Amino acid sequence: MAERLGPRFDLSFTLNGASVSVSTTTATALADLLRERRDGRGTRLACERAVCGACTVLVDDVPRASCAVFAFEVEGSTVRTVEGMAEDGELSPVQAAFADNAAFQCGFCTAGMIVLTEALLARDPDPEEAAIRDWISSNICRCTGYSLILEAVRDAARRKRETAE
Amino acid sequence: MNDLPPLRTIGRPDRRVDAGEKVSGQAVYTVDIELPGMLHAKVLRSPHGHARIASIDASAARAMPGVHAVLTRDETAAIRMPVYGYFIKDQPVVATDKVRYEGDIVAAVAAEDEGAANRALAAIRVEYEPLPVVTDLESASDPDAAELFEEPPVGIVPKYGQGASGELRPRKNVCYRFSYETGPADAFADCDHVFEDVFHFSRMHHFHLEPFVCVADWSREDRIELWTSCQNPFPVRKEIARIFGLAENRIAVRVPYIGGGFGSKNGCKSEPIALALSRLAGRPVRFCMSLEEGFLTNTQHAAILKVKTGAMADGTLVARESEILLDSGAYSDGSPLVAEKAGYRIPGPYRYRHIKSDCYCVMTNTAPAGPFRGFGGTQTSWACESQIDMIAHRLGIDPCEMRRKNLIDLSEPFVPGESGMDSDLREGLDLVVRELGYRRRHELADCGPVKRGMGLAIGFKDGGGVNKPALARIKVSTGGDIFLQCGTAEIGQGAHTALSAVVAERLGADRSRVRYMPVDTDHSPFDQGTNASSAISVMGQAVDRAALAARRQILDFAAEMLDCPADELDLVDWKIRRGNEAFPLAPMIMGYYGGTGWEFVGEGFHKAQSTHAAPLEAPCVFWEIGWGGAQVAVDTETGKVTVEKLFVTGDAGRAIHPLACRGQDEGAAVMGLSQALFERMIYDGSRLVNGDALTYRVPLADDLPADFRSVTQEQGHGPGPFGAKGMGEGGMLPVASAIANAIYDAVGVRLTELPLSPERVLAALAEKNGG
Repeated sequence: MAERLGPRFDLSFTLNGASVSVSTTTATALADLLRERRDGRGTRLACERAVCGACTVLVDDVPRASCAVFAFEVEGSTVRTVEGMAEDGELSPVQAAFADNAAFQCGFCTAGMIVLTEALLARDPDPEEAAIRDWISSNICRCTGYSLILEAVRDAARRKRETAE
Repeated sequence: MNDLPPLRTIGRPDRRVDAGEKVSGQAVYTVDIELPGMLHAKVLRSPHGHARIASIDASAARAMPGVHAVLTRDETAAIRMPVYGYFIKDQPVVATDKVRYEGDIVAAVAAEDEGAANRALAAIRVEYEPLPVVTDLESASDPDAAELFEEPPVGIVPKYGQGASGELRPRKNVCYRFSYETGPADAFADCDHVFEDVFHFSRMHHFHLEPFVCVADWSREDRIELWTSCQNPFPVRKEIARIFGLAENRIAVRVPYIGGGFGSKNGCKSEPIALALSRLAGRPVRFCMSLEEGFLTNTQHAAILKVKTGAMADGTLVARESEILLDSGAYSDGSPLVAEKAGYRIPGPYRYRHIKSDCYCVMTNTAPAGPFRGFGGTQTSWACESQIDMIAHRLGIDPCEMRRKNLIDLSEPFVPGESGMDSDLREGLDLVVRELGYRRRHELADCGPVKRGMGLAIGFKDGGGVNKPALARIKVSTGGDIFLQCGTAEIGQGAHTALSAVVAERLGADRSRVRYMPVDTDHSPFDQGTNASSAISVMGQAVDRAALAARRQILDFAAEMLDCPADELDLVDWKIRRGNEAFPLAPMIMGYYGGTGWEFVGEGFHKAQSTHAAPLEAPCVFWEIGWGGAQVAVDTETGKVTVEKLFVTGDAGRAIHPLACRGQDEGAAVMGLSQALFERMIYDGSRLVNGDALTYRVPLADDLPADFRSVTQEQGHGPGPFGAKGMGEGGMLPVASAIANAIYDAVGVRLTELPLSPERVLAALAEKNGG
């Protein structure tokens, strides 16, 4: 069956700081490649049409809907997923802010929201309210009504700035 | 507000118990379950809204590489009862004689991967003989309308109490009617005014992010193991036992974290297909639908609500008669239950001398409608709270005063035989009025063609389900590790957190000592389902009793060991306290039981008292109230409605976890906001035209009003532990009508159909201005 997904080839990239070499096919989506791995299931698939953002990962620091990225596109790239956000076993400031503000309910959008927030704060450590809303509007959360997520993003920005000082 | 004593765990801003797993990506959902040798299922869906199936030829599909099982009507003979549903068993596992909507399942394939399954489906030849379709609620019973089911339905009417009745198939294309009546019908004769209005309610899809998914293993003849994203594992176990003729103790239904449901994940969805395929293939089968297939599987009920209300000139409400038509789609699913609730809730939280309602489940050639957050209460709150405003304006009374005058008092029964109102409704209304600045709304500045206004609404439903029993078990090990076993699923609402907190509080332990055990029908005590805002209000009572029973046993044991009365003792951090003395429990237990010690086991049970005096045969567990207010700006040139302020408030009774309560109310309110303004399923005849993530618009962070706030009241009158009431649905109920009422306040036009789109606003303005 696998031949239907195109010819196989060897792919190398960096996943959450570790070098990864895998055999995959030309038609495999990055999300599927990640989810086939035991350490990649935190990335969630919902709409599979690059609309909802549940599958958001960072490819060379750019947030991408991994359902709409071919695996071959990440050859030589650095990929970061929700599993790679913790530092020395501690939740990242963004993860801690989501946890402390109850900025999740069912949790299915949470990985994507956290990855998105990491990318926003890497670009702008002190984002304006409009920028936060704009960024968070690229992903869908059906549970929270967003208010607690927006608070978590503001809180995460505060925590990161305090850590940096 | 009550003066509530400070507690150790209840009401504290601790992290939710699922926080760590969910923010780190470690949480396990059904989509993550993988079994050795697991196959993948895909289904063939009908392209016709209504058609007879002339023939199905799946021979080519069966011969394709990687295909292990094909299920069509030819294979269902081996299934004992290949139909399912709640009150009415009318939905086939796969279509037999007819298809009844675009998306109806005709065949299913299990193959090595989803690609192989899809290719096999493409090789199945089905000949259809198309039939006329029924898509219109009002003409579905016309003599010349097509008929979805020619045979009378196989189903039941549950026992009802005082004033309530139900009927299967009261007329063509109507699968169920619920009726309720109380008080003298001639009350209308005494009224100064009688107002008749009609309201249209739109239809949404739940849009839960985790799809309908299950992994079914029926590779051994007498054992089914099923992991499923399902809100009610015990009823699903019963349904599977009935469909396949297997004993319930041969069937294990396991529910990991659920990635959202909002009602849709009640009852069988993906499970019967996956099980039938697993049996045929002799291997485990995973059936994961796409998000698009979700739209074709379960939806909210569109509705037409005709409401006739009699009132006195001073605004006193006297009588209300209602007729509600619910678009139930092609199969009954949860529709009879939703009809029961819609028919019962249409009076709203007001006092009348006479109430009469009839609610009909109308079958159409569209996707099956079923449980959806609000469960009929969203539909009725839309009509009820719009009409109250309309009547107030017609009588020249302030809409807020009109409500205050007629609201049921605290402790007053909703209708004869019912439980008393357990929130002070005026207290909530006054809070909205204050927070919104409603009394100063006439000072709102208009800006050229943009006019501003404010509106209020009080959403209302009976919560906790009807006659739901619940069981819970607490085990405490020698070392004080606490096991909480109950069947409530964590679907995002925070049930694991709230129920764990109740147990920790009762056992004097840190919440971290409590582990919420996996939901597994083989081990979890019986539960009717995670729905009806019942986790804390119903299961919470069972869990509380189980924790108190365990506490009692532990204290009795210690009293015997210490040779003193148990009432001198307290339990704190797994030590027995007597005055200033502390006795660690572990050595005491080891000393008595020896070896590895012992487990204390406490069980708790809750069931509402059945009584024929109550219209639904059991009094309501709690009343779920959502108060809301909106400030809008209406652009009279474009028709665009901007919600500038949205305020919602619910009464948690006691907020076990305040942030989880807030999240429930706000999430519900935003669902209401999107239904009010734009979100809906659009049908062209029997064809859904926006059934995908790109064209079906759900609310984003950008859609939040500039000023969006909620307050969780803690009035303290709830039946749950520590005075708690249920949450999660109330916040949705008032939003659409509050916005419609605000639009009227702003520009003097009344919209009675959702969504409140620019086109509708412009049309109404044109009509008002002499169009």
